[in-house]
Amino acid sequence: MNDSRLTAYALGELDAPERENFEKDLAASAELQAELKDIVALAEQIPGALASDASLTDAQRDSLRTRFAENHCTAAAQKTTRRLMAGAGIGALAAGLVAAALVVTRPTEPTAPSLAQAPATASSQPVDEASHAKVAQLLADAKKFSDQGSYNLAGKRYEQTLALDSSNVAAREGLAAVDRARSASQATTYNETRSTLVAEVSQGMELPVRHFSEGSGSLAAAQPAQPKSESVAAPPGAVTATSTRTGGAIGGVQSDKVDSLRAALATGYAGETRNLAKDIDLPPGESYAETAGNSFLATQDQPLSTFSIDVDTASYANIRRFLTNGSLPPAAAVRVEELVNYFPYTDPLPDGDAPFSVNVEVAKAPWNQDHLLARVALKGRDLAPDKLPPSNLVFLVDVSGSMQPENKLPLLKRSLLALVDKLSPQDRVAIVTYAGNSGVALDSTEGREKSRIRSAIEKLHSGGSTNGASGIQLAYEIAREHFRKDGNNRIILCTDGDFNVGVTSHDELTRLIERERKSGVFLSVLGFGTGNLKDATMENLADKGNGNYAYIDTPAEGRKVLVDQMRANLFTIAKDVKIQVEFNPATVAGYRLVGYENRLLAKEDFNNDKKDAGEIGAGHSVTAFYEIVPAGQPLPNSVDPLKYQATENRESRIENTSRDLFTVKLRYKAPDGDRSQLITKEVGPAGVALDKASEDFRFGAAVAAFGMKLRGDANDASLPWSGIQSLARSALGEDPDAYRAEFLTLVQKAKQLAPDVGE
Amino acid sequence: MSPEQFIDHALERYERPLVSYARTITGDLESARDAVQETFLRLSRQDLAALEPRLAPWLFFVCRNCALDHRRKVVRFADGLVEDDVPDSRPSPADEAQLSEDAAQLRTLIQRLPLQQQELVKLKFEAGLSYREMAEAMRMTVSNVGVQLHTAIQTLRRHWNRANTPILP
Repeated sequence: MNDSRLTAYALGELDAPERENFEKDLAASAELQAELKDIVALAEQIPGALASDASLTDAQRDSLRTRFAENHCTAAAQKTTRRLMAGAGIGALAAGLVAAALVVTRPTEPTAPSLAQAPATASSQPVDEASHAKVAQLLADAKKFSDQGSYNLAGKRYEQTLALDSSNVAAREGLAAVDRARSASQATTYNETRSTLVAEVSQGMELPVRHFSEGSGSLAAAQPAQPKSESVAAPPGAVTATSTRTGGAIGGVQSDKVDSLRAALATGYAGETRNLAKDIDLPPGESYAETAGNSFLATQDQPLSTFSIDVDTASYANIRRFLTNGSLPPAAAVRVEELVNYFPYTDPLPDGDAPFSVNVEVAKAPWNQDHLLARVALKGRDLAPDKLPPSNLVFLVDVSGSMQPENKLPLLKRSLLALVDKLSPQDRVAIVTYAGNSGVALDSTEGREKSRIRSAIEKLHSGGSTNGASGIQLAYEIAREHFRKDGNNRIILCTDGDFNVGVTSHDELTRLIERERKSGVFLSVLGFGTGNLKDATMENLADKGNGNYAYIDTPAEGRKVLVDQMRANLFTIAKDVKIQVEFNPATVAGYRLVGYENRLLAKEDFNNDKKDAGEIGAGHSVTAFYEIVPAGQPLPNSVDPLKYQATENRESRIENTSRDLFTVKLRYKAPDGDRSQLITKEVGPAGVALDKASEDFRFGAAVAAFGMKLRGDANDASLPWSGIQSLARSALGEDPDAYRAEFLTLVQKAKQLAPDVGE
Repeated sequence: MSPEQFIDHALERYERPLVSYARTITGDLESARDAVQETFLRLSRQDLAALEPRLAPWLFFVCRNCALDHRRKVVRFADGLVEDDVPDSRPSPADEAQLSEDAAQLRTLIQRLPLQQQELVKLKFEAGLSYREMAEAMRMTVSNVGVQLHTAIQTLRRHWNRANTPILP
C-alpha cells in the first residue's frame, strides 16, 4: 500500500484534520494497521543504525568559539538598533493582533544577508495602505486559526504576511509559535500511538491461548496476564526481550503477577460472579460491578417493565480498549445498552415542543426466528450551535501520579484543548486539580480568553496522591459562584478512578453530589487509562450527578465526547427520563429487556417524581431492545403454571380484546423542572421480517448481539460472530464518522480471540 | 543568550548530526567537517536571536550547500566519476564496533537509497527535524518530503524484512 500518510502518522507529522481522517481509515483497515506496525518497528531501528560519533575536531570547535566571541559586540549592537526601529514601526499593530507576550520584535531574513544589512529600508511598515490592511487581516486570520488549532492554515497566513512584508515581526514570531504548538500537540499523539504500537508489536509474540468451555454457549478464554497494560514506550528491543510463553504455562516472575491479579479479581467484585468468564484476568486495580443479564419474564406475572434511560457510552470505549489490546473484556465491563447507545442513529427529531421523539420498531429477532425484537428509540431535540445556553464548566482534574501515562493526563489535555475551540465567548471554564492538595489551576474564565484557558491546560502536570473529596468541594464552590440560571452548570470530573483517599467515604461523596444536583450543578465523569479504572464507581457518580460517564481511550474518542457530541453530552434537554412498558398478555407470552441491568426501577418508581433517573442531551439517541416471546411460544426459562392465579388472569383476558403488543410510557422533566410529563405510545401487532427492518434496527441489533455474546449471558441463543458481522455490515448506513465501520473491526478481533466452534 | 552560549548549545545539539549529514553528501569525513565548520562560520555572521526559531532548517540548508560545494570540487578532480547516489561513506571503525549485525545491515540498506532519500532519513531520524523543517532545509515542498521519506521507508522495509526473516525465533 502506498500511502505516505502511514509514515507521516508514525512520525507524528500529520496535522489534526489529516490525523483524524487517517485514524478512521486506520480503524477500518487491518492491512493499514499491520503496515503501520511494521513501519513503527523499522523506525525504532533506524536511529541505532545511523549512530555515528563523527564530529568536528577540537581545533575546529575552538576556532568557532573564538569567532563567536569576537562577533559578540557587533552583533549585540546591531540587534539593539533593529529592535528599536522595528518596535516603533509595527509595535502597535502587532500588540493588537498577537498576544502581547509575543511582541518581541526582531526582523531579519537570515538567509538573505542583503536585507539584514539594511534594516532601515526593510522598514517594518508595509509599503502602502492597501497592503497594510491586508497584512492586518492576514495576521488576524492567522491568530484565529492558530487559536483553533488549525496550525497549517495559520502558518500559511503568516507566510503570506511575510511575502507582503518580509520583515514583519509578528508574522515571524507567529510562525515560530505555530510550529512549536504544532509539534507539542503532535508529540502527544505521536508518543501515544507509538507506545501503543510498540506494545502491540511486542505482544505479537505472545498470542493469547484460547479454549472453550464445552457445552455452554458462553465464552471462556484464558489469557496471559497483562503486565503491559500501562504501556509506556517500550525500549527498542522489547520485541525480543518479551518472555516467550507456551501453552497456558506462564514462566517464573509472571506467576506472582497472576496471583496478585487473581486476588484483585476476588476483592474487586461485588455480588455474584456467575456470568464472568472465569479465566479472564483483569488488569490489576480495575474493578467492575457484576450484574446478571436480564432473564425472560412472563407477561402474566410481570406485565410491567420499568427502567431509567442510560446515555453513557463508556463501556463501548472500554471494551474497545480490551479488544484492541488483544484480550476479551471481563463480562462485567460489558453493558449492552452502552454499546448500543454509543452509535448515532437517524431517528427523526421531535416535532413541536417535545424534548424527544419516541420511535418503536418491531421485527423478527436475528438470533431466534420464533421471537420478536422491539426497538424503542428516543431522539433528543437538537440545539443549533447559536441557540446553546451559556455553559459554566468546572473541570475537576485528577493530577495524581497515576495520571502520568500518555493515555491519561496528556490525552485529557489534548481533548480539553480541542474543546476550548468550541467555547463561545459567554461560556466560562475553570479548572480545579486534585492530588495531595487540591488547587485552582484556572479560575472561572470567559470563553473568549482562549489563550489563557489553553495555557492553563498545557500547564497541567501530574504528581501527588489523590484526595478527590476536597477538590470536588472546591469545584462546586466555583460552579456556584458563577452559576448561570439560564445555562448549563456542570462539573466534569476527569480521572482514572482513584478518588477515595481523604475525608470522604463513597457514601458521603454520593450524598454531596446528589445535594449539589438539586442546586442545579450537574456532574459528568470522564474516565481515562487502564489499570486503575473504577468503572462502577464512576458510572454511579455520574448517574447520581445527572451527568454522563464516558471513557476516553483515544484522541479520536476525546474528540467524539468533548467536541463532536459536546451538545449531547453537556446540554441536558430532559432529566429523570424513565420508560415503562406494559406488555399485553394476549399477544406476548414473555419478554426480556436487553441491557439496562443496573438501571431497572420498581414499577412504582415510574410515577414517583422523587425518584432519580437518566438524562437525555441535545441530539442524543437512546435505544432499548426488548426480546419478545409471542403468545403461544414457550418461555425459554419458564416456571410451572400458577395454580391459584389462573382464574384472575382468565377474567382479565376476557375483557382485553386489544391486539397490541405493548404500550410504551415515558416520563421526563424539563432540566430545571420538578414535575414530570407523560408520553404514551401504543404498539400494534405488526412485526416485519428482519431484512425489512431499518438499518438502525439491524445495526443496533447486531451491537446488542455482540454485547450479549461478550457477556456470555446464559439466556442467549446467540449469533455466531460471522452472523453479527454480516448483520452489521448490511446496515452500515452513511456512517459519516466511521463508528460503525470500526465496530466491524472489533467483532473481527473478538472472533479471533474466541472463535466459534467450527469457524 | 550570549553568542558564546549560543554556539555551545548549537554545537552540542547539531554538531554530530550535521557532520553525519554532510558526510552523506561529501562521502568523506574531512570534507564533511570542513562543510560543517563553514556552516557555523556563516552562522556567526547572522542575527542569532532572529534565527533561533528556525535554526535547524537554516543550519542544514547552509550545510547542504557547503557540502555540495565540496563535492563539486571533488567531482571536478575525479573527472565526474563520482556517482550521484553512491557516495562513499564507509563508517569509521569506531562506529562499526558499536553496531549490532542488524543495525549494520540496516545502515547498508540506507546507504543504497538515492541521495535525496538518504538525506531525508538523516534529517528525520538523526537530526530530529520536522517535515516542515526538512522541507525548508532541502527546498522541497512539505508533501514531497512526506512522499519521498515514505518511499525510503517502504524500500528499507522491503529489504529489511527479507534480510531479517530467518533471524526471528
